[in-house]
Amino acid sequence: MSLSRRNFLSSLGIVGISSAVFPSWMPKLVFSPQGQQAARGDRDVLVAIFQRGGMDGLNAVVPYGEGANYYDKRPTIAIPEPDGSDSAAIDLDGFFGLHPALRPLKDLYDVGTLGIIHAAGSPHPSRSHFDAMEYMERGTPGDKTTSTGWITRHLNSAAWQNESPFRAVGMGALVPSSLQGNMSTLALRSIADFHLAGRRDQLAGIQRTLSGLYAVQSGGDDLLLAKAAGVFNTMDMLQDLAAMGYTPANGAQYPDSEFGLGLRQIAQLIKADVGLEVACVDVGGWDTHEYQGGTDGTFAYLLDDFARGLAAFYTDMQDYMSNITVVSMSEFGRTATENASQGTDHGHGNCMFVMGGGVQGGMYARWKGLHAEALDMGDLDVTTDYRDVLTEILLKRIKNEAIDQIFPNYQATMLDIIHAR
Amino acid sequence: MAVSRRNFLQLSAWVGVGAGVAWSGLRVPITHAQGVGSPERHVLNRLTWGPNPDDYARIQELGIEGYIDWQLDAENIPDEAIDQFIGGRRILTMTYDEIGEIAVSQYAQVLYTMLWARIYRAAYSERQLYELMVEFWTDHFNIPIGDLLSEKIVDDREVIRKHALGYFRDLLYASARSAAMLYYLDNATSSAEHPNENYAREIMELHTLGVDGGYTEDDVTEVARAFTGWTVESGFVDGFHFNRDQHDSEPKRVLGYDLPAGRGIEDGLDVINILAHHPSTARFVSYKLCRRFVSDRPAESLIESTTQVFIDTDGNIREVMRHILKSAEFMAAEGQKFRRPLDFVVAIMRTFKPHLQFGNLEPVLTMLEPLGQLPFFWHPPNGYPDAAGAWINTNGLLHRWNTALTMALAGDGYVDGASFNVAAVVPMPNTVGELVDLATERVIGGGIAPEDRDQLIAFVSRNADPNEVITDDLYYTKLPTLLGLLMASPYFQWR
Repeated sequence: MSLSRRNFLSSLGIVGISSAVFPSWMPKLVFSPQGQQAARGDRDVLVAIFQRGGMDGLNAVVPYGEGANYYDKRPTIAIPEPDGSDSAAIDLDGFFGLHPALRPLKDLYDVGTLGIIHAAGSPHPSRSHFDAMEYMERGTPGDKTTSTGWITRHLNSAAWQNESPFRAVGMGALVPSSLQGNMSTLALRSIADFHLAGRRDQLAGIQRTLSGLYAVQSGGDDLLLAKAAGVFNTMDMLQDLAAMGYTPANGAQYPDSEFGLGLRQIAQLIKADVGLEVACVDVGGWDTHEYQGGTDGTFAYLLDDFARGLAAFYTDMQDYMSNITVVSMSEFGRTATENASQGTDHGHGNCMFVMGGGVQGGMYARWKGLHAEALDMGDLDVTTDYRDVLTEILLKRIKNEAIDQIFPNYQATMLDIIHAR
Repeated sequence: MAVSRRNFLQLSAWVGVGAGVAWSGLRVPITHAQGVGSPERHVLNRLTWGPNPDDYARIQELGIEGYIDWQLDAENIPDEAIDQFIGGRRILTMTYDEIGEIAVSQYAQVLYTMLWARIYRAAYSERQLYELMVEFWTDHFNIPIGDLLSEKIVDDREVIRKHALGYFRDLLYASARSAAMLYYLDNATSSAEHPNENYAREIMELHTLGVDGGYTEDDVTEVARAFTGWTVESGFVDGFHFNRDQHDSEPKRVLGYDLPAGRGIEDGLDVINILAHHPSTARFVSYKLCRRFVSDRPAESLIESTTQVFIDTDGNIREVMRHILKSAEFMAAEGQKFRRPLDFVVAIMRTFKPHLQFGNLEPVLTMLEPLGQLPFFWHPPNGYPDAAGAWINTNGLLHRWNTALTMALAGDGYVDGASFNVAAVVPMPNTVGELVDLATERVIGGGIAPEDRDQLIAFVSRNADPNEVITDDLYYTKLPTLLGLLMASPYFQWR
């Protein structure tokens, strides 16, 4: 979509407006002192990463210990057994190894803040991106009628509530399905871009006129007018934040990608203490049907972005990490066997990453192997339902016990990946 | 076949659209458009996707009743622009089997054509009410495109568009045998041995009886059995095939009716007739039509009288609509419907037709995507939400305002693929006050509150002086944004 709006908007500059009366929920825009708990100290901030397209978990976290069961299936794209070099897997536990492009995650693994769950995912057999993503994000695999996302149900069922417009933020143009059905969700492509469009020399007049037309100063009990007031307040806050600029702590360097930018802004929002409880960020491009490469190539490039983003976030947020849990998921894994185009097709089981101060780092896998009988339609089987991982986070770190509402009709079996707050 | 398409995630910006939020039980907003419009304006707001001067001329000529009857007789309204548009896009008229491979190998182009056709027809068809009915039924029998592109093209043409003003029973039957529906709600793989209840549940809950319409879990099971064998196969008309081998021919009991043993497709046909003629269906469909066309909370009196018309006419949708649109309740409901994102964007297109032009769909998609209502991208089977509360949220509002403010600058070259001749929309008057009044009249039909008129005058005139003489400079720099502000104002959000 090539509308020149992006350039257009960025050429406009931001016109600050004098702050209207701030509603009571709005915290002062100061950065919390280092180490202070960003969320109110009772629960973790949740950062949910969605790897869209179906990540190839078998080449991200390589079961090199499978030997021929792995290597014979992937003659041109397999990642070699660890040999200490940069063109082989990085050993984790004598059986699994990280793709070399995930090198930045090895340090996190070593300090015990990164957990990897293999053969995880949604139990539904769908190999359709659309269906599988919707099932996963709505948290009810197999049920197309669910109209709310799992994160929405978490927020709505929580014992606490929070009026901040930043309670749940989806980084991107769209509200992700996991946040469907929540009126307070904010889709935020960029903090700096959350402002009115128009000719630069008219922005102040536009803002004044619109707020007049929506009678913002006088309030009113109308839903539309009330929401309009919320938009103006949110714009004020984000414009102030944008004006303050942001320098990541500890020399953290985020990759210059949508994903990196998303994480960087999540970090900024957490530190600004604006009431953020859940942030969602996407990283796309994982649908590697053709020439995905082995230790280098397309897939390695994607992993590099992913790993550098996570590592930068960790470095930047070190002093906050005891109050943050990051979790990644993807709609499905990929076929165990590579295809004729030296890529992989839609599969089933995958690996998930969990990072945070509460995580008990390490490899977790109910591993059945890659021999024919262990596979599900030729793909890695799902032996850990992704909801097991999410349930554990919700219960132990977010402190929401209404799991029956978040994942109805599902009985989770926890892996003990995380210790309770 | 649910095509497993490679690389479709290159369209990843479109994945997960459906950003509207579901109704969460907040009260219905009390305030709506405060403009004191004419009855003609109200009728045009509801029977079109956004009135423009040609529509006013037409309703003046025909009168309100005459206009309603004319729009209801959609087939007899010449529609040259649309015939030309569709004629140039062969994919839209191809058979299911013909589309098949093309929709796989040229997914993005075909999807683009489909979306453009939807929006183009809404904006430029003379059959405006018909296009609103198409939108209603598209939601009622919602199927997201996903990887069902060729199936969806056929569904749109042979189910929704063919029967939008026809008989409900025919519409329901067409939907039941639609390849898109059979795949989407899993009936295509439902067999005697492994019946799938997905479609059986939704046809009762969403398409006919309504969730409180009086069916039981046993009915769901029985209806699922009745539809076993209804599947998709290439080589058959529109891909529909009844596979007798997969059909459960044991006796069934549905909503109190016995379906004897040993039959085939008749079981499903009977279920369709039972459901189409059930009083709960008459009420549920009538209620939804009243909600869409009258107000988020339609009066009980109107729901009841409409239900009666539905029953009396054997579900003749055209007559049901005639009843609703000529009711006192309808005429009294001015400004009570919030424009959904697609309504909003198309209303902009129509308001300034023909002076605002789009050479391609991209700027329109760019507007619609963040607003959360790309056509055919709602995932659950219930369709994009109808009521205002589902759409009034922080993101939606800011994107609305910016859409309005940006589109207004199309004449200055700010929007690739669009052009806008504002001088033709509002010719240069003598004073600021006249400029504001003319622009207001064009965008929202006049009748705004005096203090809001003052706000707009203050935007145009540095001294807030309505008598300030318009200069070329003032006219060309302020008029586009003035039009943008009017489109962004509360008035334009309601219809």
